[in-house]
Amino acid sequence: MTGARPVGDLLPRLLTTLAPYQAAVLRIGVATAWGGFLLREWPNRRVLYGDRSPWSAELNARLLADTHAFTLLAWNDGRWWFEAVYLLALAAAAAMLLGWRTRASSAVFALTVLSLQNRDVFVGDGGDNVVHLMAIYLVFTRCGAVWSLDARRRARRGADDPTAWSEPRAVLDALAAMLHNCAMLVVAVQVVLVYATAGWYKVQGSRWQDGTAVHYPLHLGYFSPWPELSALLGASLVVTFLLSYGTVIAQVAFPFTLANRRLKNALLAVMIGEHLAIAVVLGLPFFSLAMIAADAVFLPTAALLAVERRLTGRQPTGGPPGSR
Amino acid sequence: MTAVRVWSKPARVVLVTAGVGLAACTLAFLAALFLHVAPENSVSRAYRGQVDAVVYPEFEQNWKLFAPNPLQQNVTVDARVQTIADDGAVTTRDWLGLTARDLAAVRHNPAPSHLDQNLLRRAWDFYETTHPGEDQAVAAGPRGKLAEEYLKRIALQRLGRTVAGERVLQIQFRVGAATVAPPAWSTEQVDTSVHYRELAWWPVNDEDYRGLS
Repeated sequence: MTGARPVGDLLPRLLTTLAPYQAAVLRIGVATAWGGFLLREWPNRRVLYGDRSPWSAELNARLLADTHAFTLLAWNDGRWWFEAVYLLALAAAAAMLLGWRTRASSAVFALTVLSLQNRDVFVGDGGDNVVHLMAIYLVFTRCGAVWSLDARRRARRGADDPTAWSEPRAVLDALAAMLHNCAMLVVAVQVVLVYATAGWYKVQGSRWQDGTAVHYPLHLGYFSPWPELSALLGASLVVTFLLSYGTVIAQVAFPFTLANRRLKNALLAVMIGEHLAIAVVLGLPFFSLAMIAADAVFLPTAALLAVERRLTGRQPTGGPPGSR
Repeated sequence: MTAVRVWSKPARVVLVTAGVGLAACTLAFLAALFLHVAPENSVSRAYRGQVDAVVYPEFEQNWKLFAPNPLQQNVTVDARVQTIADDGAVTTRDWLGLTARDLAAVRHNPAPSHLDQNLLRRAWDFYETTHPGEDQAVAAGPRGKLAEEYLKRIALQRLGRTVAGERVLQIQFRVGAATVAPPAWSTEQVDTSVHYRELAWWPVNDEDYRGLS
């Protein structure tokens, strides 16, 4: 927010690709979370989503007749079709991570995410839900504009001056940019909805009110892989209180802090920190990674460029200017 | 900034039409999402059909994470079987802790598998939501039957076709619920013992094992 811009400046900006770095972070984060998950589940893949699932293809067919959810795995319930889809899912995740033929890859990525998750919707958790939604939204974004093999290829081919384009080409480019901007708005609002609902429903909970809520998940068998660590974290009255109240305050406040850059960035750091802790303490690394990827769409462009300089040791090249 | 392109009139018409259309669709979609995650209200009741048409099946979401209260119970699912010997003698076997096995696999695992952390846990949730009665024995609607078959097959996959060389005849589940003890500084008095509830015996046949090996 660098002071008021004339409205005449704003409209042409909506025809350009806004927030390309945030879109790239989302793509890389979601692809890492889902690809990492697929690799981790490689030994269990046939029981989770394939021919050995206790949720048999026949049971799933009865559910799908009701829900009409999409899955390529409904076409054939044999082992090799399943293996092919799983391998395609891994390949799509790798292509998305690297930003290779990103538009096509993002479509294949979304199709494979839906196919596997809708094969058994009862094995997923919040992390799968985030990946599911973001995979669909990413199809409509230009998430390969920067930090991608596509961007490198474009840079090597030499600068393509947009002002020299024919008008039909410029119109198509502007349409794609508008679609991208709408999709990024949807992503941002989606993340706000996640935190707003998570926070506002907690406000009503007696355990969040009495400041002991954090104690309970730490003592659930399924979510305490390190009981010693959980016990340590939940041992102090004051720490438990601060974590419980801090979580609710951060989640409820998050949407409103977006009006203030510095406050938003501070809270974002808190959110990312909390998800890193959840990854370890509650044994939910893929959920946490997916949430961090979603959080990252609110990171300021300057911070993302600083990361780029740190990683590559050079000034950023190419790519349209960012927004935030 | 680079020189701003000057659009022809037809181009302006296309861009403005597309822009208005996209903005309208985006806002409608976001409104549907909002109504889906908000508490049930007058507007979401009035437009339930439209909201559901947008949200289901692919945009469904539930972010009541640990809300309004975190789960305060450790739920454990056990199963036991009756087997039949060649001479027709039926034996009831010991309870086997299915959840206990899950927890052992989660323990000290930096990246627990969905197989151990979610499969049985969420299958039991599914069973509970489709069996709302007091004793949770009767299925409500066709999804209840799906939940029963799913639960049965999860257990059979882990138990196998035979126990001590004898064919499995029937299977029974019991679910134990233990309230998590409040923190040390709490003055609440809570019964933390495990309360068990047994389901009926369910017959097992060859068809139940299809694809499980």
